[in-house]
Amino acid sequence: MAAINSKDIVLRAIQVLLLVALYIFLYFPILFITYVSFVDNIIWPFPPEWTLKWYARLLSMSDFHVGLKNSVYIGLCTAVLSTLFATSAVIGLLKYRTRWRGPMILLYISPLFVPGLLIGISTLMFNANVLGMSGKLASAIVANTTEAIAFSFLVILAQLVRYDWRMDEAAMVFGARPAQVFREVTLPTIWPAILGAFLVSFILAFNNLEISFYNLGAIPTLPTIAWGTLRHGIKPELFALASVINLLVFSIIAGLFFLIQTGLVRFGYRGE
Amino acid sequence: MQTSAHALELVEVEKQFGPVRAVDNVSFSVEKGEFFALLGPSGSGKTTLLRIIAGLESAGKGSVHIGGRDVTRKPPYARGIGMVFQDFLLFPHKTVGENISFPLKMKKMPAARQKEQLDWVLELVRMKGFEDRFPNQLSGGQKQRVALARGLVARPDILLLDEPLANLDRELRKEMEVEMRRFQAEIDIPFVYVTHNQEEALTLSNRVAVMKDGRFEQVGDKLELYEAPATAFVASFLGLNNTIVGQVTAQEGGLSTIDWKGIRLPVPTPEGVGVGDSVQYYLRSEKMHIGPLEDTPEGADATRLAARLRDIIFKGQYSDYFVIVENGEEMVISDVPDIKGITIGDQVAVSWLPEDGFAFAAKGDR
Repeated sequence: MAAINSKDIVLRAIQVLLLVALYIFLYFPILFITYVSFVDNIIWPFPPEWTLKWYARLLSMSDFHVGLKNSVYIGLCTAVLSTLFATSAVIGLLKYRTRWRGPMILLYISPLFVPGLLIGISTLMFNANVLGMSGKLASAIVANTTEAIAFSFLVILAQLVRYDWRMDEAAMVFGARPAQVFREVTLPTIWPAILGAFLVSFILAFNNLEISFYNLGAIPTLPTIAWGTLRHGIKPELFALASVINLLVFSIIAGLFFLIQTGLVRFGYRGE
Repeated sequence: MQTSAHALELVEVEKQFGPVRAVDNVSFSVEKGEFFALLGPSGSGKTTLLRIIAGLESAGKGSVHIGGRDVTRKPPYARGIGMVFQDFLLFPHKTVGENISFPLKMKKMPAARQKEQLDWVLELVRMKGFEDRFPNQLSGGQKQRVALARGLVARPDILLLDEPLANLDRELRKEMEVEMRRFQAEIDIPFVYVTHNQEEALTLSNRVAVMKDGRFEQVGDKLELYEAPATAFVASFLGLNNTIVGQVTAQEGGLSTIDWKGIRLPVPTPEGVGVGDSVQYYLRSEKMHIGPLEDTPEGADATRLAARLRDIIFKGQYSDYFVIVENGEEMVISDVPDIKGITIGDQVAVSWLPEDGFAFAAKGDR
């Protein structure tokens, strides 16, 4: 008995150790960046001298203000566009059966298999040479939407395969016009999927460097500024910026989690 | 065409799905206050027909009239119908009250009238006090009642029901059958009821249409169908459980003698059948009698066969007796339980009157 117990303990210890190592591997860089964004000198001394001056400097740099504004703008527009497109695409594919369903799904998610860099360069070439619109926010939004549609499509598809489209028929029989069917029955059931796709698209486009970079030229976004700044050496302001963005993303996810846990919002299907 | 008299009228409706003719030239009408059953096996086109009436499927040919209006080209939401679906299809994110009021909300009825109608229908289906529950908090029978209430709340011109009892257990089904007849009698809205269950159709409806391969085999009063099936299919579908196939060897008066694998039986002569033709003869088990071999038959006209009793299945008010007759075929007879002490393995006599069965010219060979 005792032998088994001690063997168990060793096994348990290894498991815990592995788990801790994994978490350190995953999260230490992020935590470290947050840590250094609050210290006066990132090299030494220890114990650190805490400071907020990098955040103050970040706030005072007008580049970053413009970049933030542009990033949010690109993020929002991309999220709206890709969610709209992806939702319509999924509904169309699921509601109206066609033998082209498989190829069409593949077509929608194909941007996932193309490196962002290529999407960036090719949309730049297309936009500049064919449409004659290079270096515009609009072309960055369109290019980001290409990629975000693929992600949104997957997120929404995963949820909507469970939706019973006969529910729409029932609503229609009871006097609902198509728009009312969507508002009264379809949307209240599928909105968590749409919200999920919206957030994913926003975060993708907000953080995107390689697609936006090629399409924007001189127009700054947060990632392009950070990229540009790196060329002059690593500056503590960048750590502050990274921490802010991490905090932002984290609070979105934490907020969603809170809503689910407290039941303030019912996500998804109240199944039979 | 004068259609205003009918609550529902279909004129020569057809529907083609690829090579399959799901509904083939169907015409019928349903009157106010009627309980009309569409009975048929799966794939007979009855659900397609119901969907055409609802507007969920378009009619390839022909026309649909509801309450005297031609609605053939109208979408479902402009038809003024109610419907009860097989899986209830209650809206999962809405409460019972919201589910039931949905048709009223779509009609933009004032809130006070909505409340009035909701109270009326909740009373009718005995679901008062459940307004704030969600569908996933209801039992199967309660969901069924909510689905019915939603179908009836707007007092539609017609209520369509698509196998509404198929997902309920036997007890609940019996209860709901009684309830549905009560609702229907109370509100005077015609019900069109699709089912594959002949018992349900006969219990609930006034009139029954038996469907096969997209066509109506027979339409009529349920007793008429039961007592005088027009085709072999109707006879077999309405629970005539003994099927006898044989060749006519002689004809005399209204009777033909058929040869059923060595046993000669008198049957009523079907129209247009002569000596040498094949005949299908259907016998309803409860019209037959069973007794000890030495008993005398009750009438001189009765057909009487000797048989060996294979099994007895007690059903309560009657028992099903399974016998093997002399040519090795099995027959089933429903008679009072516990007849004169006959037991399994006994030699028995089976009897019936030839005119109690239904004979049809057999299609094809045999």
